[in-house]
Amino acid sequence: MNKFRKYSLLVILITAASLTGCKDDDDDVTPAVTAPPMENEEEVITDVKLIFTNSADANDIVEARAQDPDGEGVQELAILDTIKLDVSKTYVLTYEILNALDANDVENIGDEIKEEDDEHQIFYSFSNNAFANPTGNGNIDNAADAVNYNDEDSEAQDGSGNPVGLSTTWTTSATQLNGGNFTVRLQHQPDVKTSSSGSNDGDTDFELPFVLSIQ
Amino acid sequence: MKQIFTLFCLLLIWLVPLVAQVDSCNFSISGTVLDAKTKEPVPYASIKLFGEEKFTTTNIKGEYTFKSLCTDDNTLIISCIGYSESICNHHHEHGRSPHFYLTQKVHQIESVLIEAEEIKEEGTQSIAQVTISKEMLTQNPSQSLAASVASVDGVSFISTGSNVQLPIIHGLYGNRVLIVNNGIKHGFQNWNRDHAPEIDVSSANSITVLKGAAGVRFGPEALGGAIIIESNPLYRREPFYLNMGTSYETNGQGLSSNLELGQGFKNWSYFLNGNYTKIGDRQSAEYNLTNSGKEEKSFGFGTRYHLKNFDVKVYYSFVDQNLALLRSSIAESGNSFVRAINSDEPIIINPFSYEINEPNQLTQHHFGKVEMNWWYSEKAKLTFRAGRQLNFREEYDVRRNADKPIIDLDLITSDYQLEWKHSGWFKSDGLIGLQYFSQKNRNNPGTGTTAFIPNYDTKRLSAFLIESKKIGTNTLELGFRVDFENNFITGRETSQAIFSDEYSFNNITASVGYVKEISETISFRTNLGTAWRAPNMAELYSFGQHGFKSSFGLLRYYTNNEGRLRTNRIIEFTDSGVEAEKGYKFINELKVNNDKNRHAITLYSHYIENYIFDRPLAVIGTIRGPMPVFIFDQADALFAGVDYNWERQVSEQLLGTFGFSYLWSRNIAENEPLINQPSMQVNYELSWNQPNFWKFESSKLSLKPTYTFRQFQAPKTVSPESLINGSETVTQESEIFDFTDAPNGYFILNLAWRFKWENFGGSITVENFLNNSYRDYLNEMRYFADELGRNIRFTINYQFKAKKS
Repeated sequence: MNKFRKYSLLVILITAASLTGCKDDDDDVTPAVTAPPMENEEEVITDVKLIFTNSADANDIVEARAQDPDGEGVQELAILDTIKLDVSKTYVLTYEILNALDANDVENIGDEIKEEDDEHQIFYSFSNNAFANPTGNGNIDNAADAVNYNDEDSEAQDGSGNPVGLSTTWTTSATQLNGGNFTVRLQHQPDVKTSSSGSNDGDTDFELPFVLSIQ
Repeated sequence: MKQIFTLFCLLLIWLVPLVAQVDSCNFSISGTVLDAKTKEPVPYASIKLFGEEKFTTTNIKGEYTFKSLCTDDNTLIISCIGYSESICNHHHEHGRSPHFYLTQKVHQIESVLIEAEEIKEEGTQSIAQVTISKEMLTQNPSQSLAASVASVDGVSFISTGSNVQLPIIHGLYGNRVLIVNNGIKHGFQNWNRDHAPEIDVSSANSITVLKGAAGVRFGPEALGGAIIIESNPLYRREPFYLNMGTSYETNGQGLSSNLELGQGFKNWSYFLNGNYTKIGDRQSAEYNLTNSGKEEKSFGFGTRYHLKNFDVKVYYSFVDQNLALLRSSIAESGNSFVRAINSDEPIIINPFSYEINEPNQLTQHHFGKVEMNWWYSEKAKLTFRAGRQLNFREEYDVRRNADKPIIDLDLITSDYQLEWKHSGWFKSDGLIGLQYFSQKNRNNPGTGTTAFIPNYDTKRLSAFLIESKKIGTNTLELGFRVDFENNFITGRETSQAIFSDEYSFNNITASVGYVKEISETISFRTNLGTAWRAPNMAELYSFGQHGFKSSFGLLRYYTNNEGRLRTNRIIEFTDSGVEAEKGYKFINELKVNNDKNRHAITLYSHYIENYIFDRPLAVIGTIRGPMPVFIFDQADALFAGVDYNWERQVSEQLLGTFGFSYLWSRNIAENEPLINQPSMQVNYELSWNQPNFWKFESSKLSLKPTYTFRQFQAPKTVSPESLINGSETVTQESEIFDFTDAPNGYFILNLAWRFKWENFGGSITVENFLNNSYRDYLNEMRYFADELGRNIRFTINYQFKAKKS
């Protein structure tokens, strides 16, 4: 065997050893496997709270909650409260949207929606003429129907952004209503949201059918 | 198969046929057998005409002649027996009677196609199998592994769109079909229907599909069969060669280029290869399939060093893929799923683009292997193989945090194999092996969601023994294997609490096979094989939404005292009653090769204990609205089927090939159908082979109509609307169902023209010539979009071979 042969064989063997790892790091003494990294669970929403604030009186607040306590688990969604509004009053509706799977580390998903407001819009549907303003039955069935959005997304190119719906204004009608409905639907619309996009474009982040009563 | 190529490098044979043709039985073949090394004639080599009682030997000048042949398409068997020991010095590597099987086509002047199908891996001789040659693979260098083997009867693919395709053998796929890449189990994220093996087909030398349970030879997961990908064989004494190929396809405006070069010297050899493929959005017959392109880069090299009776091979390969998934396949709520499946067209259709957006999968796969062979005696050899694979996978989804991967995993796989191959040991030939396998899965931080697959370490120690004995025209093959496997798991619940578990499996696998050469033209093989596999991590630990459905793994749900389904705790494996899958496959093949007709019929039945599958369970109210819920379940299942292939040489130029496959399958524990099973298919290929047409040395025109039947064994249909509005209710005891009817049967016509001119070879192929709109039952995208429309592919290859090394 000449020198060249000897050395080239050596080179191959060294390459072989480095490729396959002579040091066997698979046989640690303790078999325990490190846990996957802790993540802030940003995908799950467990709690949605609708907050109606009387525009004439900041202390007059009506809240309604929906909760899915096990997040992605099989437990059914629970609509905890009925929305009870007074007749002929104007309310501003805002939200608290949380992931409370880990009670010690509650995530505010509402902030994330605000950050990505160009990809989100909340649509509404309600009993016909439950409100004096907006009239009709909301914009889930037809996106052009009236809802009083107070906010618009930050992607506004020409000063006219598209509505988001984290803040909306509602004036109840003068007639009483019992057992009506008020459904909120948050749509996630990346690259889809436009001035004409509707409640069926993109995907649903939440859809909550509340019972509405106006006394 | 590798063995025959090793010999091939020692003994290259040139056949220079001269043909005289007058009438039907007046063909003749003559040629010369030369030694590759010395270019000297090889005298007294015996040559036999396959299927006929005709023998001859080469004369002192190495020449031979066969006269009065009735066909111009003959198979010659050139035997090494009687050949001088100095030239055939490694013949013990091939058993005692090494044979070449050469299909000599008279119009191919210089190239000789070597079909090594008859030489089979130990432990698989009695299993029906089909090999796809490099020549066929280069016709379509941009296709997936699954698509490249789907031409085999009984094999098709199950897919998620046009890029993610998994081979399916006799109804089984995923980790019930073992993928052996260059001698090592391909280590990748093999769970669900949306993870395909990262294999660059253009770098493969051949691909063999084993249709029987090859669990003894290859280990767990070879329940349904195995797909064996052979890499460049690294011939020695091979003059410098360079192969370049490029292709363009109209559907998706796809471009693909590949390059391979290498050389073999007296003691060593090397090769290098690379491939680049880029395909944009594909089109169905009527619309664009937005976000369906792919980009793939691959690179590999190998080298071999040979001493007198010792040999080392080192291989490295790298594949980088970016695969797009159809944009319209994302449905994050029950309502959007209903809308998507009720729409005739995908919800989102954008103009053509090469851009790949979410949802997509990025993977990088490194493969390194060392193989050492030591022929320490005339009759035995020791082989040591060590392999390491690194698989990095990131998957992106359309979601609030689309810039972060939703799945980000590193998988490290190590393999060590020691094999002793022997002949004449207690009068039998065989292989005894020891294998150590370990796999380590780690989640990377920054996904913004709870890890879908936990971290785990799997370790497995295995030993196997395969012996075969030949008595006259009978071959008996026996195999036995033991596996000890340990799994350590640590994961997180959605609350971020840590859970961990440890469990192990000890399994015994056995196989018995028998091959009978009934006559020169008829052979029969039969094999009864067992195999097992551990449930995969997705089957055990899936939790919650993935795609349009919420799925719960076997360890993630239970029924509480009130009989209600609960998912609020994780069950320990040992308390769960979950067991490993065990399969028993009985497969028989009869081959009849007459002059003009070649028949191959395969009949099989397969019983699987504890077969794991996912099934719809309920619709539950979630914050997103009503969602369909799936659970993984276990039951005993039975499969039975037939594959039939008939080749008929209609005339000198015209060859007809008929293929048929049918599978029956059922969940016999519940007496109900199984979901996602391949349907019946018939195909016919008519090809016209024209030598010396215009400037082309050979030219082949082929026409292939295929009809795929509607899956009439599909589960009943329950629409998601009816579940959401409550007009239908399902419980854990309900019969299995699907959301839509199985798509109608469809007809596809493919055309191809292949030619050879000097160093160039090329093809023009037209897939779905009639531009039919159809959906395939085995594509998960069938809910959302049609399959691809017409595609015209142009391929050109250039082969350079130096005259001398």
